[in-house]
Amino acid sequence: MTAHNLSRNAPDRMDLRFSGEPIHPILVSFPIAYFTAAFVTDLAYWRTAAVLWETFSDWLITAGLVMAGFAVIAFVVDLLRGKRSHTLAWPHAVGYALAVLLSLLNAFVHSRDGYTAVVPTGLTLSGAVVVILLITGWAGRALIARRREGADL
Amino acid sequence: MMRICKIPHSAPRLAVVAFAALGLAGCYDNGGDPKIQIGANPELPPLQQYLVPPIRIAKVVPWGQETPTVPQGLQVHALANGFEHPRSLYVLPNGDVLVVEGNGPEAPIHRPKDLVTGWVQWFAGAKGKGGNRITLLRDTNGDGIPDVRSVFLDHLNSPFGVALVGQDFYVANTDAIVRYPYQEGQTSITALGTKLTDLPGGPIDHHWTKSLLASPDGSKLYVGVGSNSNITENGIQAEYERAAVWEVDRASGAHRIFGSGLRNPTGLAWEPETRKLWAVVNERDEIGPDLVPDYLTSVRDGGFYGWPYSYYGQHLDPRVQPQRPDLVATAIAPDYALSSHVAPLGVVMYTGTDLPASYRGGAFVSEHGSWDRSPLNGYKVVFVPFSGGRPSGQAQDIVTGFLDANNQARGRPVGLAVDRSGGLLIADDLANVVWRVSSKGSKPQPDSAESK
Repeated sequence: MTAHNLSRNAPDRMDLRFSGEPIHPILVSFPIAYFTAAFVTDLAYWRTAAVLWETFSDWLITAGLVMAGFAVIAFVVDLLRGKRSHTLAWPHAVGYALAVLLSLLNAFVHSRDGYTAVVPTGLTLSGAVVVILLITGWAGRALIARRREGADL
Repeated sequence: MMRICKIPHSAPRLAVVAFAALGLAGCYDNGGDPKIQIGANPELPPLQQYLVPPIRIAKVVPWGQETPTVPQGLQVHALANGFEHPRSLYVLPNGDVLVVEGNGPEAPIHRPKDLVTGWVQWFAGAKGKGGNRITLLRDTNGDGIPDVRSVFLDHLNSPFGVALVGQDFYVANTDAIVRYPYQEGQTSITALGTKLTDLPGGPIDHHWTKSLLASPDGSKLYVGVGSNSNITENGIQAEYERAAVWEVDRASGAHRIFGSGLRNPTGLAWEPETRKLWAVVNERDEIGPDLVPDYLTSVRDGGFYGWPYSYYGQHLDPRVQPQRPDLVATAIAPDYALSSHVAPLGVVMYTGTDLPASYRGGAFVSEHGSWDRSPLNGYKVVFVPFSGGRPSGQAQDIVTGFLDANNQARGRPVGLAVDRSGGLLIADDLANVVWRVSSKGSKPQPDSAESK
């Protein structure tokens, strides 16, 4: 039995899979979780000035960028295999790209020494990323819902 | 030479727009003329914050057959070479020269940035293995080349400052002052050391060097203890009793903070006329090519010199929270700015007779050289004239040529000492050489086991 036979929906979902699950969506959830957590630890640093929280934010943003890199690789492989293009959710792609670019900028801001690594620019960027991720998630869900209703996109 | 710009060349356009929208874009401003930042009243521009702090490291090249450059009337030659990261120098009463070879302990990785910092230091040649030992040099025939060379002390822990008081030889390791028995003429010490006091060491130990100076009467030891961060990014708790000059009682090992707010006091010296304590101090980074000027200052008993909350008196640093307005109000502006990022690592007040009389009573300061400023600054030994116990004029370049014509680094000066014949000794921790500067045609007096 091959991995493909395990696929639940054939034949238009032949993207990269792990134990039968498509890899790309699994990877995407990591940066979403990490960037959101970084906003929480940024808020904690803003209120306490305890450097522990800033260190958390640094690693969370960095780890989010690394996982986003892997997600992009999985996405590109799927695209090259021609298995994703017509199911591509463009609001997702644009929203995620913006979130990753702002987080890259945020990683540089967070590399500063002391309080201004977070307050105010770093904290603002972390918050903006969370807002973008929320809007992207909502728009993506709305798109899927419309597809299920048979809307032609 | 390498420069890293604020925005990588490959940055996507969207990112560039985002940078611009946040008002953070634009490439680095070059540093201004360092001369306007030398002396009692340096010009201090507004501070800048960066996305990627400027990094400019000089490419390392060998000296070959060349030597540093000195003004007319002086000469320079390599006293000895082949050291392992020579950082400071000390001259024993019988004329023996001690070369302290050491480098910092391995820095822990606390933030993603620390990974990059390690790479930058490696590129600058600052990761050279430290010998963790002290080498003794003796020139018995007075030809200017030592003919006795021995390992004086070995298996030390990132040593920097040393001092002899009577028959007690003190080594300031990065984490403790250790005392060893010394007899005049000894070329190596095999006795076990006795710890006088602990000093703030690891596990972070950001500024690891501990400078050491004995009081003229020998009752006290003064220790320069650097901060544990650039600007408290490791937390204020990590700065306990750091960024200070300690006064250690030689009999009991007890200590008190003599001067504080001194970010990294890497060199200490007694001003010969007033007998006051002076220090060279390395100031903070990452707020611009012309901030904050490193300095030479007298250290007053109980004086607070600003770090981390402010610089040059009451100029606040927004990177430090919570602020301490009560301390800032008392912050003393240092006496003499040396200009920004020159990294002064050694100071000696000249009381010898070999060099021309104009140098007597003034201070030689070694400037290890900048790594975060363009154009490069430092990489030389300067002379600050003194009169009446105070700096009395513009600093003069005395030993240059550590950078070649293409701004490549052949050497970097660190520790200074004046030998028994009055020659100025300079430790070069990049080329692993000790240089000796003297008056043209002068001959050093031969060393022997006994002082004369």
